[in-house]
Parts: sequence; C-alpha cells; structure tokens
Amino acid sequence: MISTELKKVILNELNLDDFDLQDETVAPDVPGWDSLNHVNIILAVENKFAVKFKSYEVLRLKNVGDLQKLLDSKLGK
Amino acid sequence: MSNIQMDDSKILWQRWERIAEHNPDKEAIVHWVAGEEPIRWTYKNLIETAKIFSVRVKEAGIKRGEVCAIVMRHNPLFYPLYLGISRTGALPAVLAYPNPRLHPDKFRQGIEGMAQRSGLDYILTERELDPIIRPLIEKKESTIKSVFFPFEWDYKNKVDQKLDNEVERIALLIKETDPVLLQHSSGTTGLQKPVVLSHRAILNHAENLGNALKLSGNDKIVSWLPLYHDFGLIACFQIPLTYGITSIQINPFEWVLAPILLLEAITKEKGTLICLPNFAYNVLAEKIHDDELSEISLESIRAVVNGAEPIRHDSHKKFVEKFKNYGFNPLALSCLYGMAEITLCLTVHEPGKPITELAVDRNKLSNGVMKLADKDSVVRICVSSGKLIGGCEARIVDENRKDIPDGMVGEVAVKSVSMFDGYRNYPEKTAEVVENNWYFSGDFGFRYKDEFFIIGRKKDLIIVAGKNIYPEDIEDIVNQVKGVDAGRVVAFGEEDEKMGTEQIAVIAETKVESEKEKNDLRLAILKAGMSIDVNIHKVYLVPSRWLIKSSAGKPSRKANKERILSGEDKQVWSR
Repeated sequence: MISTELKKVILNELNLDDFDLQDETVAPDVPGWDSLNHVNIILAVENKFAVKFKSYEVLRLKNVGDLQKLLDSKLGK
Repeated sequence: MSNIQMDDSKILWQRWERIAEHNPDKEAIVHWVAGEEPIRWTYKNLIETAKIFSVRVKEAGIKRGEVCAIVMRHNPLFYPLYLGISRTGALPAVLAYPNPRLHPDKFRQGIEGMAQRSGLDYILTERELDPIIRPLIEKKESTIKSVFFPFEWDYKNKVDQKLDNEVERIALLIKETDPVLLQHSSGTTGLQKPVVLSHRAILNHAENLGNALKLSGNDKIVSWLPLYHDFGLIACFQIPLTYGITSIQINPFEWVLAPILLLEAITKEKGTLICLPNFAYNVLAEKIHDDELSEISLESIRAVVNGAEPIRHDSHKKFVEKFKNYGFNPLALSCLYGMAEITLCLTVHEPGKPITELAVDRNKLSNGVMKLADKDSVVRICVSSGKLIGGCEARIVDENRKDIPDGMVGEVAVKSVSMFDGYRNYPEKTAEVVENNWYFSGDFGFRYKDEFFIIGRKKDLIIVAGKNIYPEDIEDIVNQVKGVDAGRVVAFGEEDEKMGTEQIAVIAETKVESEKEKNDLRLAILKAGMSIDVNIHKVYLVPSRWLIKSSAGKPSRKANKERILSGEDKQVWSR
C-alpha cells in the first residue's frame, strides 16, 4: 500500500491535487509522470525521506508499489 | 592529421562489405543494455546476418525502392535488419516506438498521416503492436501493404542460395544517386516532412563530417540518441558504420531513467566521442549523485558534440564544472549545426579548441546587427556553431534571399554535396525551401570570422511595433527566474488587434501553487523582461510537463500558442 507521505511527494512533484495511486499504478497512468519527470520524482522522494537510490534500483522499478518497497527497504521498514 | 579519404564505394552496402572484408573482427556495434553483458556485433557477423535478413526481406515480397517503416524498441537485431533492407534497395525509415501514454488512435493517426505523405509501403515492427497497427492495414484506403515481424524471422540458418544471388544481383544495380533512407524532419505527428537521402549524400557526409571531427579508426562513438532522430541515426549510427568505426548504442528509454548509463558505457568501452542535445548536458550535470560517479572516468573522451537544439553557454559550464573532476577535458566541448535536409550538418566546431563565445549587444542583435557588447550594452552570449565542413557552402541572406555582409543577421542558406533529394511526395514544400540548389533553412544567424552563430528561427520571430524580437532571448531570461521550471518556457507573439501589432506573451511551467506565489512569479518574469528591454505583455503559468513538444523533443511555440489561445484549459493561470 502506498503511504500518504510518498503519495504526497509524488503528487506534489507532478502538481496534482489528487490522484488514486495504487501499488500497481505505473507512470504512464499518472498525468505528468513522463520519463523525464521520473528523474525529478525520484530526486524529490530522495530529498523528502533523506535516502539515496542507485540508478540500477531506479531502473528496475515497474510501478509505484516497487517504489514504496524500495523506499521502505532504505528506511529499514 | 591528414584527411581520411573514403574508398571508391558507390553504395553503402558495398562500403560496409568492404569494411567487413578488411576488418572482419573489428566491433561495429556494441548493443548496450543496463545491467547485462553487451551484445557485440563485429563487422563480419553484422554483414553475414544482414545478408540473411536481406533474403527474408526479399521473401516477404518487399521490392527495391519501397519504403519499410521500422517501429521497434532497442533490440540487437535492429542493426542487421536495417542493413539487410538496404541491400535489397528498399528504404528503411525508422519511426518512434509509441510511448504507452500515447493513445492507440493517435498513434494510428500519426502512422496514417506519414503513410499518405511519405508513401510508407510496409511496417516492420514487434508482435505486440499488431493489434494497434492491424486495423490501419485493413482499412480500404490504406496505402500500407502489409505488416511484418522480423524478430520472428529465421536469421540463424542458411538461406536459399538462389534467393541470395537474386538479392546480390539487385544490390549491384543500385546506383549512388538512388535513395538509401528516408527520415522525417521535425514536425507534429503525421505532418513531418519526409527527407530522402541518397547513397552519395551519406558517403560524402561520412567523409566530410569525419574529417571535420578528425575521426580516426580508434574512435568509438557512444550514444543514447534515438535512431528515429537524425542526430542519432546519422551522427551515431550511419557515420560510424560508414567510416568503419565502433558505436555503442544505449537504450534511450533506459538512459532517460538512469543517465549514468552513458558515463558507464564511456568508462567501460573507452568511448571517445558523444553527441548530445543541449538539455542532456543539464541532466548529466544535475541529476546524478556524486557518490555514483566514483568509478567513472571520462579521460578517453575527446569530443562531446552539442547539436539538435540551441546551444547554451550555461549548460556547457555546468557540464564542465561537474565532470572536470572525472577526467573530462573542457576542450573536448564541441558542437554542430545542421538539418536533416543536408544529411546532418554544415558547420562543426573542431574538438580540442575552445568554442568561440561572443558577448554581443542584445538590442542591436534584435535589429539585425551583431555588435560586440560594450559597457552600455544589454549582453547576450552567442555560442558559435563552428566552421563549414568540406562539401558545404553557406550564405547569410536577407528576406529577398540576397547575400548580406558578415556580422549582419539573416537566414542561413546552404548548398551541400550531401543535399537531400527533396521531400518525398511533397514537391510544393521542396520548392518553398530549395532554390537554385540552395536550401533555405529558416534559421536566423550571422557569420563572424568564418564561424556561424545561430540565434533563432525565422518563423518564430516576434515583431512588436516594427521591432524584431527573438523568442529565444525572452525564453532565456525567463528561464533564469526562480520558480520557473528550467527550459520549460515558450515565448510568442500574440495579436493585439486594438494596437495593430503583436504583443509578447510567455507561457511558463511552474510548480508554484498559491495565488500569491503566482502573482509574485509574474512580477519576477516581467522584471526579467525589463532587464533586456522587452515588455512582456501577458504571462501564462501552467503546470509541469504541460508544454507540448515536437517529435524532436523541443517545446513547440506554434502548438503551445494555439493551445493557450484556445482558452479551454482550466489549468492555465494568466494575467
């Protein structure tokens, strides 16, 4: 399940007031989340949660649920 | 270093075969995939597999002169397929693979538009796209004859010798003036201009560009550029193949998610030359953590060639600042200027020397005169696009296509030994831009001490009360305003019927949200305009990623102007 905090960071980066982000949501489903903006979203998540992702970890992400899992692993959850 | 002379090959297939004979084990293409062992095509393997594909193309019924649209993702079989098509005398035309975001109807509409305009005969694609493309083929009025899935063809087993001989016989009939490929210049989907290039154009360009960049047999070009774009197709695929050197091809979709891939490939393969559009300098400089760069070395790089969009001084500066600690030599910065209609380019900056940058008086420049800035000037930094390459002549002309002196701003006209053969099935458009073998580019620039400086596009020029203003100038300055998304600004002229002239309008992407912030941002944008003596009449603020891009990836002034003036989008804030 996507945490409220992560959802907030992503929506904020995309300048959306609200959007139904689920585990299986993929970037092309979300308005504004294109390949170029992807890097900015990742950087925003890193800044917000004070974590760092490796490029290859980012490349393997298939959906928002994967991003949540990666974030949780960095936060030791 | 003496100039390298090409052999007397008249067609590309002959040239590639000869390279394979002389250097069979030399790597032609290294197909790079993140986290995997690269797939390495030697010239010998590439040609042998291309021969098999050429027979499969023949078996599919594709004939000499017919156009094969290739719509595929990053795949190691793309390269021998492309060469194989060429051997049969058919014309490969690489098209962009549809982004998942793109609605299937829009994709079909785009292909249909191109088919009608360019005369696409076949689509060679992946099975996954069959449901999307099939309805297009089955339409009664469709000009597309069939769709094929070449990755399912048998490319490993020997082919029928009789058929191979037949293809060889056809290959021998191909003349140097025959078309060898079709590429689409920038434009909205379906309205792109189809550029046809001959064998002679490509061979000449390989020699002239190769000499301008001082290519040698030891060079290795590393590229993430998509092959549907001329910068990728010509500079990073055709030229190295035709020159007989190695190219490393990175998946563009992977690069944009993990820009470090380019640096890893350079480091591991000891790449010597890369080509980048200007925005990529910023991405590489600003979107990669330093702790990921510990094993990166850019010592092998002798040229980073900026092209395909206006060259920004700041981007070069950022790139050098970031990578000088990783072995990057600032003198490796290079650039080129050109267009698909002359194969790729007419000017190149010679690597190894500093790029000329001129501080000029912005107001004089707007009036068509290049004057070096003095203490009273509002300054614009103009970055040189280099000097003419061999086989090219260029003129700067006025609106009547008459020559004007050096230092005056006018349209760039070019004559090249690598000139296109016209827009396919579009003689009226060809006649608009070609006159007495001169191609009139629609780009504005000036020549200074044999170097060319490109400062804008003729058709985007804004004329306010008789004063010419380049939208790039406004965009540059608004880009520097805090709160505006970098590089995501469009300036255009908005008709003011009451005043009988155009007024300047700016659309800017931003992440600011509150009414107060938007008002503050607008004020900052107006002040930025004032700093270069430009009165910005109207500011439109729009959310990130709102701006429509052309197929070349640049925000389109025309399309965004139309969208904003339609007044239908509630996301737009304006004042």
